Amino acid sequence: MNTDAAAAASADRRGSLLNLEAVVVAFGGLQALGGVDLQVWKGDRLALLGPNGAGKTTLFNVIAGDVKPTSGRVTIKGIDCTELPARFRPRLGVARTYQKTRLFRGLTVEDNLYLAQTGRSGRHLALLRSGVDAEFRERARAMAETVWLADVIGVTAGDLSHGQQRQLEIGMALVTGPEFVMLDEPASGLSRGERERLVQLLLSLDPDITLLLIEHDMDVALRAAQRVMVMNEGETVASGTPDEIRVDPLVHAIYLGSEAGLRGADP
Amino acid sequence: MSPTGAAPGRAQSRRTLRRLLSARNVVVAAATALALLLPLFGSNFFVEFVMTRTMILGIAAATIVFLAAYGGMVSLAQYLLAGVAGFMVGNAVVAQDAWSKGLKLGWNPWVAVLFALAVTTAVAFVLGALASRTTGIYFLMITLTYAVIGYYVFGSITPLSGFGGITGIDPPGLFEDHPQRMYLALVVLSVLVYVAFRVLAVTPFGLALQGIRDDPVRMASLGFNVSLHRTLAFTLAGFTAGLAGVFNVWWNGQIDPTSISIGPTLDLLIVAVIGGTLSLEGAWLGAFVFVAANNYLRNLPLVDHIGITEARFNTIVGVLVLLIMILSPDGLAGIIDRIRLGLRRLVHLSRGSGAGPAEAAAGSKP
Repeated sequence: MNTDAAAAASADRRGSLLNLEAVVVAFGGLQALGGVDLQVWKGDRLALLGPNGAGKTTLFNVIAGDVKPTSGRVTIKGIDCTELPARFRPRLGVARTYQKTRLFRGLTVEDNLYLAQTGRSGRHLALLRSGVDAEFRERARAMAETVWLADVIGVTAGDLSHGQQRQLEIGMALVTGPEFVMLDEPASGLSRGERERLVQLLLSLDPDITLLLIEHDMDVALRAAQRVMVMNEGETVASGTPDEIRVDPLVHAIYLGSEAGLRGADP
Repeated sequence: MSPTGAAPGRAQSRRTLRRLLSARNVVVAAATALALLLPLFGSNFFVEFVMTRTMILGIAAATIVFLAAYGGMVSLAQYLLAGVAGFMVGNAVVAQDAWSKGLKLGWNPWVAVLFALAVTTAVAFVLGALASRTTGIYFLMITLTYAVIGYYVFGSITPLSGFGGITGIDPPGLFEDHPQRMYLALVVLSVLVYVAFRVLAVTPFGLALQGIRDDPVRMASLGFNVSLHRTLAFTLAGFTAGLAGVFNVWWNGQIDPTSISIGPTLDLLIVAVIGGTLSLEGAWLGAFVFVAANNYLRNLPLVDHIGITEARFNTIVGVLVLLIMILSPDGLAGIIDRIRLGLRRLVHLSRGSGAGPAEAAAGSKP
């Protein structure tokens, strides 16, 4: 395809950030991923689409190091990460969020955003506070502002509303100053207004930040991404620009199938 | 808005002062003052027996609370670690010509303390590293296994445990024949341990530990070495349990494998549960209730007719723990919290619900 060639050309210019080669993940007899290849370039905005059970989150977990692939290779910034545990990812500039919110529910919003930064720096074993911590605190407060949590900064994360917890989840990924952000369904459970804010936030990110996004909300996904990959039953079935994906009949059949069918039968 | 805006430094220090003067801290400070003054008016038995034992058990139970409240790890190995320190002190201080057993190294008692704490800390590090990958019930089971193994190890290596125990372990001259001094030292140590654990909670290390309690998976994905962190927390708790163990063996004058068997191990967990595994103060509160029940129940009318043997005492403590688990899973500290909230509500009601908050707001202005 024309766009693929263009993308490949720009890849040479910008350099590959993430490379998956024939990644297979099998949970017992169930094959969650059946040999996925994926290349993500620096500054890419890639959305993963697909119905439930398509293997999107498994793919995420493989990239983040939470799941080891049964076979295949994961390379981040040219470093083979296939066998590397999850805790080494932040040093490569990788940050992720989780589909089911994973917060430090007993700590305040500020402490959550503060802690998110200390892991990468190795500060977490320190018994004394230092200037670095003041800087982290400053950045935590700034990030709380960015994700609209400034007025609840002293509230315990477990006491936040669902929407606020999702915002904090994203804040904790962004506050680490990542080069590569992976967001797993950031818009799930958000109101229409909150979704709009989320899209604006994603569009306002530094263009150098690479974004990999799983999203069920087509509107959010297709607006925030420049490139879309559609998965079904553990395999890539289509990829292209948002405009191409919007009109792809195959995508309609498998992903929007039921919805499109209903619309068709509803004259 | 307020005149203090011109002097941010003073406003800051005033805010710090107000935070330090929270109801919780004031009550703890008052309790500490009372404990320090106790030798002036308390009976010898109460000070040298009940309260001394309370402080020893309180420090040991505080290590359980520390691991549970900040690290999400309920450990049954704390009494074993206290016992390791006790055995090390016993082996090190008893003189060669003494009528006792064990290694009889005859060291200076303070050197023996350093040695005992070093060994205990090292043992805690190894045990912590082995258990650090487990959480919840599995962590509990592994530390229970440690306690059982520890009992049998000391029971079967008789050169170390002196076949039935090491006796005649004297405390250093500072405390020998001065039980009140030992009590005061334990109060000071309790305060140090309490403050250290509270302060630790707001250090980068302590915050990360609480993060691990809440979500280890997220912590790993943020770049934290979760098992190392758990191991270090366990090691610190082990060191502190070792401190309690040193005083325990000085106070008892002897130690044998039965004293670290499953019974005392569970007793310590019960102390923590009675007080409340989520608040540090609860450790000492639970220890006091436990020791007081052990010593005074037999004097109660009616109860003195039955006679409180060890087995009957266990039944009573069992019922007490059952009641606490049902009525207040967060222990006595939780009950006190609820009473405090209830009182505050009553005060509000008596002032009139409308005027209450407004008055409170007006009162809080400088």
